[in-house]
Amino acid sequence: MAATASIQPVGAIHLRDCGNDSGSLIGKFSSRCSLKGFAIDGRSFAKGICISRQGKLHVARGSICHALVMDHFSSTSDTTPDNNEKTLIESSLILIRHGESLWNEKNLFTGCVDVPLTKRGIEEAIEAGKRICNIPVDMIYTSTLIRAQMTAMLAMTQHRHKKVPIVTHNENEQAKTWSRIYSEETKKQSIPVIPAWQLNERMYGELQGLNKEETAERYGKELVYEWRRSYDIPPPNGESLEMCSQRAVAYFKEHIEPRLQSGKHVMVAAHGNSLRSIIMYLDKLTSQEVINVELSTGIPLLYIYKEGHFMKRGSPVGPTEAGVYAYTKV
Amino acid sequence: MLSLSLFTRIEIDIMAAAAFHQAVATVQSSQLLINSGRRNEFGNVSMSLIPKGFKVNSQLSRSGSYGSGKRNFGVIQASASQTSVVDPVSTPLNNSTSEAKKKSNEAALILVRHGESLWNEKNLFTGCVDVPLTKKGVEEAIEAGKRISNIPVDMIYTSALIRAQMTAMLAMTQHRRRKVPIIMHNESEQARAWSQIFSEDTMKQSIPVITAWQLNERMYGELQGLNKQETADRYGKEQVHVWRRSFDIPPPNGESLEMCAERAVAYFKDHIEPQLQSGKNVMIAAHGNSLRSIIMYLDKLTSQEVISLELSTGIPMLYIFKEGKFMRRGSPAGPTEAGVYAYTRVISSSGHYHLLQLSHSLNGPLQVLK
Repeated sequence: MAATASIQPVGAIHLRDCGNDSGSLIGKFSSRCSLKGFAIDGRSFAKGICISRQGKLHVARGSICHALVMDHFSSTSDTTPDNNEKTLIESSLILIRHGESLWNEKNLFTGCVDVPLTKRGIEEAIEAGKRICNIPVDMIYTSTLIRAQMTAMLAMTQHRHKKVPIVTHNENEQAKTWSRIYSEETKKQSIPVIPAWQLNERMYGELQGLNKEETAERYGKELVYEWRRSYDIPPPNGESLEMCSQRAVAYFKEHIEPRLQSGKHVMVAAHGNSLRSIIMYLDKLTSQEVINVELSTGIPLLYIYKEGHFMKRGSPVGPTEAGVYAYTKV
Repeated sequence: MLSLSLFTRIEIDIMAAAAFHQAVATVQSSQLLINSGRRNEFGNVSMSLIPKGFKVNSQLSRSGSYGSGKRNFGVIQASASQTSVVDPVSTPLNNSTSEAKKKSNEAALILVRHGESLWNEKNLFTGCVDVPLTKKGVEEAIEAGKRISNIPVDMIYTSALIRAQMTAMLAMTQHRRRKVPIIMHNESEQARAWSQIFSEDTMKQSIPVITAWQLNERMYGELQGLNKQETADRYGKEQVHVWRRSFDIPPPNGESLEMCAERAVAYFKDHIEPQLQSGKNVMIAAHGNSLRSIIMYLDKLTSQEVISLELSTGIPMLYIFKEGKFMRRGSPAGPTEAGVYAYTRVISSSGHYHLLQLSHSLNGPLQVLK
């Protein structure tokens, strides 16, 4: 149980039961660190997760200078795990719901209208970034709406990692060619950002642009309530939550989950309904339960993906909060 | 020196002009009749209706109730403090100064070059690689926004790259006007349909944001992603210098400045100039090379001159478009700067126009300088 840390922390690292037997590492921890508790305990990130160079997950408890943790999070994508560790490929999944938009402020139904962030929404994005500044990110998925894209880009300005998010363009041949990078070195230092309409907010049909007053007048209060709060009743020419879930979860399973499976750390910056749809899948919620899921704006939600399972890890706390733990591979 | 009383007739009227267009837009938008299944969605409409529609506007203005043909046009060279007389935001539409409505063929054009990107910081050739802003670039955008917070904006054009789009959106968070920028989507039928707005009031309160690849940075071909060292190693210093500083020699599989200018200026003439002609105030958020290409056209520069043109990042550049001509008005100063100017046109008793330069120190009265 030697603590052969490859970095020199300022604080003391107290390692508990960090066996070298990688196969049972997590098992050992579960008794001390209540790892099982993590799965159901949606509380803070205080028990932090560190993803090591080989993508291996190690959970230890210790206080460590925040600044030094990032040194450990160098690129995990260009090293292949050895055979012993393959079964332990674990990756982090960060979900961020964008903050206040200009129509939130005006109390208008937004849906898929492409409305940008307010000053407050910008601050929320930056705050979110501070909270995840030490969690590795290899790929970013966003919706095609600017408020989610800006949230991702603003959050990443706070990231300790030196990799650069690059928005990918595939809308046509020219866009693809024109955005090509010609240096291998630079590519390795890039975090692809993939915009996908399937991660857009639920399309609100003929309610888009209306305020609650107008809408109640036009359609009647009860009907509006039904559209907003039911699972499967869409507003006129819009999507129900069910329809939104369908395309969001399908996209997640087809495009995002394979990345996690291969050990990539992924951040998804999107919207209230597209994210709760994904959470419904991750947490295996019923349609009754998902209606009540409220994802806070600008507060990132962390999941750990391992062997096909998603373990909710709650919201990472910011670095300025006392009692923050960091974990490191030893 | 003229006394203050003379200036009671001065209408610094950019906002009134904008309000005018807003009012006329009411006429237009009531015809839009957004219904599900019909093609007149906002997205569609704003692309095709605006050029036509706003030309109609200008005709309406001549025959309409908007004044006797007198025009007062004010340009805010810089926004003064909140106590400034020059506060068009508060000019109400139904003000008794209806004679002060701007004639429809004058419009403001703001050019903003985005600030520092993550590859600027790393000294890599960026071109059309879609690299976002650094913290500093974010701050530059916000600062730019403060400088133009009082200049009306009816439409925004950006490139297809996030650093320009973010610059525009960040800048507009500082804008005094309550209108909301809305990005138009036309990449597919679904994108168009899904982004429809169903309230006319809301549409009137919107500033369409149009993204165009033609406003992208010059495409740097095989240099994209390389740093200066790598590039010099790979191709030789002299060759690299030629690519970077010539007008018409492109890097391998890239664009020359000439090629960039071709598509940027063509886009400007086809899409943006008609908006200005109809009196729309336009902001363009783009890149060093696409903007200097446009400036080459606006200022009628030679290829020699444009090569040495450097547009500061994050410092907006203002032009006034009038009767087919572009008049450069420099950079609006920040609101905290002392001795800011405002320019205004005054109608003298004989009906002649005079362009006066006013100085408004933060606490003193308006004084005419010339």
